[in-house]
Amino acid sequence: MNVWQFLADFFVNVGAWMGELLSGWGLSPFWVSLIVKVVGGLALAIGPLTAVLFLIWYARKVIGRIQDRMGPTNDGTAAGPFALLQAVADAIKMLTKEFVFPKERDRVVFLIAPVLAVAVAVAVWAVIPFGPQGMQFVDLNIGVFYVVALASLAFFAMLMAGWSSHNKYANLGAFRAVSMIVSYEIPQMLALLVPVMLAGSMGMQGLVRAQEVPFIVMVPVPALIYFLAMTAEVGRLPFEQAEADAEIVAGYFVEYSGMLFGAFYLAEFINNLSASFVFTVLFLGGWRGPWVEQAPVLGLVWISLKAFLVFTLLTFFWGAMPRLRIDHILGFSWKFLTPLALVMLVVVALVDKAVQAAGLTSPWGRAGWLFLANAAVALVTVALLYRAERRQQAAREARRFAIVR
Amino acid sequence: MAETPQEAVQLKGIPQETFQALQERFPEAVQPARYEGALVPAEKIVEVVRFLRDELGYIFLSNLTATDYLDVKGVEPHIDVVYHLFRMQGGYAALHVEIPREIGKAHLPSVTSLFPSAMLQEREVYDMFGVKFDGHPDLRRLLMWEGFDGYPLRKDWKEVYYEGETKPYRSRYPKGGHPIYAEELSPLKDNIRYPEGWSPQAWDYDEADRLLYERMLSAHRDPDKPLKTDEMIINFGPHHPSTHGVFRMAVRLDGETVRHLEPVFGYLHRNHEKIGERNTWIQNIPFTDRLDYINGMTNNWAYIVALEKLLGWEVPERAEYIRVIVGEFSRIVNHMLAAGFFSNELGLYFTGSLYALEEREHILDLFEALSGARMMFNYMRPGGVRYDLPEGWLEKAKALAYERIPRKVEQMAHFLLDNDVVKARTMGVGVLPPDVAIASGITGPVLRASGVAYDIRRAEPYSLYDQLDFDVAVRTHGDAYDRLAIRFDEIWQSLRILRQVLENIPEGPIVAKKPSHRLKVPAGETYGRIEAPKGELGFYLVSLGKFNPYRYHIRSTSLLNLTALSDMTRGLKVADIVTVLGSIDLTMGEVDR
Repeated sequence: MNVWQFLADFFVNVGAWMGELLSGWGLSPFWVSLIVKVVGGLALAIGPLTAVLFLIWYARKVIGRIQDRMGPTNDGTAAGPFALLQAVADAIKMLTKEFVFPKERDRVVFLIAPVLAVAVAVAVWAVIPFGPQGMQFVDLNIGVFYVVALASLAFFAMLMAGWSSHNKYANLGAFRAVSMIVSYEIPQMLALLVPVMLAGSMGMQGLVRAQEVPFIVMVPVPALIYFLAMTAEVGRLPFEQAEADAEIVAGYFVEYSGMLFGAFYLAEFINNLSASFVFTVLFLGGWRGPWVEQAPVLGLVWISLKAFLVFTLLTFFWGAMPRLRIDHILGFSWKFLTPLALVMLVVVALVDKAVQAAGLTSPWGRAGWLFLANAAVALVTVALLYRAERRQQAAREARRFAIVR
Repeated sequence: MAETPQEAVQLKGIPQETFQALQERFPEAVQPARYEGALVPAEKIVEVVRFLRDELGYIFLSNLTATDYLDVKGVEPHIDVVYHLFRMQGGYAALHVEIPREIGKAHLPSVTSLFPSAMLQEREVYDMFGVKFDGHPDLRRLLMWEGFDGYPLRKDWKEVYYEGETKPYRSRYPKGGHPIYAEELSPLKDNIRYPEGWSPQAWDYDEADRLLYERMLSAHRDPDKPLKTDEMIINFGPHHPSTHGVFRMAVRLDGETVRHLEPVFGYLHRNHEKIGERNTWIQNIPFTDRLDYINGMTNNWAYIVALEKLLGWEVPERAEYIRVIVGEFSRIVNHMLAAGFFSNELGLYFTGSLYALEEREHILDLFEALSGARMMFNYMRPGGVRYDLPEGWLEKAKALAYERIPRKVEQMAHFLLDNDVVKARTMGVGVLPPDVAIASGITGPVLRASGVAYDIRRAEPYSLYDQLDFDVAVRTHGDAYDRLAIRFDEIWQSLRILRQVLENIPEGPIVAKKPSHRLKVPAGETYGRIEAPKGELGFYLVSLGKFNPYRYHIRSTSLLNLTALSDMTRGLKVADIVTVLGSIDLTMGEVDR
């Protein structure tokens, strides 16, 4: 094995090398596998935490440019080139700040909530496949299910934080978080069933392997539904409700200070990033890209680039979208996303079966027919929305007052 | 009282035919020499106001305030409560009521049943003068807290660090030359006066809010609601990102739904009016900058309009042009900021407000070149303005008004008004019907968004506005969306006005008389008002012919525009509170004074 071969599948080879080394020391296979997994897990967990340092800088820069200003700069400060170290400075500031606790908090729950929030956000990374084989911490055969379950747990952290803070704003935020999850898990799950059905697998690796044509081309409408539900789930504008700063100040973490607050901030960014990765796996073909078969380590590059694009889109939303109201958001889920997702599930299932029965087995042929079906549904939906909009406008015009002079 | 033509000509503060009709119906209404308008007995005031409203068309109670007459030569000590009523066109009818000034005896019937706009103003008079209004549904203190000892605007109330009745204080110049400030001389303990038997340690803070919470719990209860859910009271503010300063709204919520909202004022109260009475007439000009600190120029202007009415001075034409230019630029600044900060309240993470602030900076550059300051301008003077336009100023103003601002306003209007999320959040939210708006004393863009084409620049033209060509912007839905959209409509009209005045500005003097620091104003009283960006900004001034005003009252736009806030938000969601509040566009500096 030369250097290039070693580098081509770097992570797997390092794991194998470590396993051999530990075996060489005479450890039993159980201990060898345990130690390798723990080291791998720590390395994986550091990934999002360091990525966030960069992403905070990136998001601030992007939003700065959206708002016609510079964002962080290093003008005369030690923030490094392009103020890249700004996030480090932020982190140091956060770590050195005092904790201020509300007097009547629920002591244990109050402290567990931020830890849980970060833990849940990081835990998603266990099932994300960063490369063809081996470059995944664990390939659960119900990986998709695991991701959704963790997302619910993240809301549990919000509820804990809100309830234990003994603050009405925090309570309102927590209640909003709960009603959001109840509403948005359903379209999210339904939209998620579509790629699962097409791939015939709930494992993340299986999903990527099935995407010779990325699912976003095959089934754009479920991809859009999933993307919107995901935006709601990570609490990004326009669906940000649990912390709506203009209304309920900071929602569920209004009473947190110092690094406890920092933990929520961190969890929010990691959640955004993890959601971007999951979306990439589900719809954008995951680690697929040129030369991955030759050099599996490139899978990490491709999936990161795709996830980065999704993250950028979420950041654009952050800078450019006003916030919807809670009843609009819930209505949007129950009256629009959920029915549409149900329709899509049925349509995709029928069309896919029909295509297979017709014997069109080439991936692009199947994708074409599915795309056409999606486009048809999308057109009908847009027409219905247009009519509803016209009706609303007419109703509003009927409510106008006469001009008083 | 027999009317002769000579007397009729000298009528002040009330139109001739109104006064005649009033006297026919109420023979006891008279016009005494020291007041403008008509003096009516206290027990008749509700009937008189109803008569004026229903039969003479005075549908707008703009201003209600009081003056404490104590130690005035030739005048019995009394409190004079004054009402300024307006028709849709033309000037005002002032009504005066004299009541005894002893606490307990000072009371008169409330006109809130006729005009909800008296709600907050009567509370303010009660708060500041101790005058009780019989029949007021919610007579609590407005700006001071419950339990405050004394009524600050009474002439016998002396504040902490009291030095003297009027400025300049002699105590500061014992030997002439450099002033000595009272704060340096007097230690705190000698100056603070507590009520009998009161100690700050034993003070129960909850007691101060007892009246508020009693009202919060009782108002608009629905005993028959289907689900017996618990309701909770939550305080928005005084420290809240969306209250534009230190404004507090106590809200009773049923889940996310607002059942009752009670605004609580006074966190920025600095007794502006009392300080204004101590200042000399000229010293009050920079002091008005601090009211609505976004629009220092129009604050100056409103005060100067009232002052010039008292002085009877003519203003040179060039000065009027300059005033219109800065006034309209100020309106653009205000409306851009209002729209920008409104988008903040919709959750747009500062993007809208930062674009608005950028335009504001450019206009402030102009103002700075003109007055030397970016916020506290101190620019207008009785009879003119302080400085002439500097070299090249007009070119810069033209470049801004003809090219940059139209471009930016168009962009911003497109981004905000055509945004589906903004539409979803604002359309049909916080609807204000026109009749409620008029009765509640609401003015400015908020009123015009409800379909009332009422603009003081047209209804009672001041300065050059009767010669200028512009339209009164009107929108007809009365919801938050229209209140946002009308601000852009008004910016277009302001730009139209700027085109006319920037092109036609004449040469000439900028001030009628040499400005004097010791300006003596003839005895009398007046109410002057302009169409400030936020609405009607009025100044009620009483002069006894001295160097200082005897009474200096501000008819605050932002305060009066909040009269209907409680009704506008009832039944809406939590998020809509800030939508409605943002669409009203208030500045706390003006609300609390």
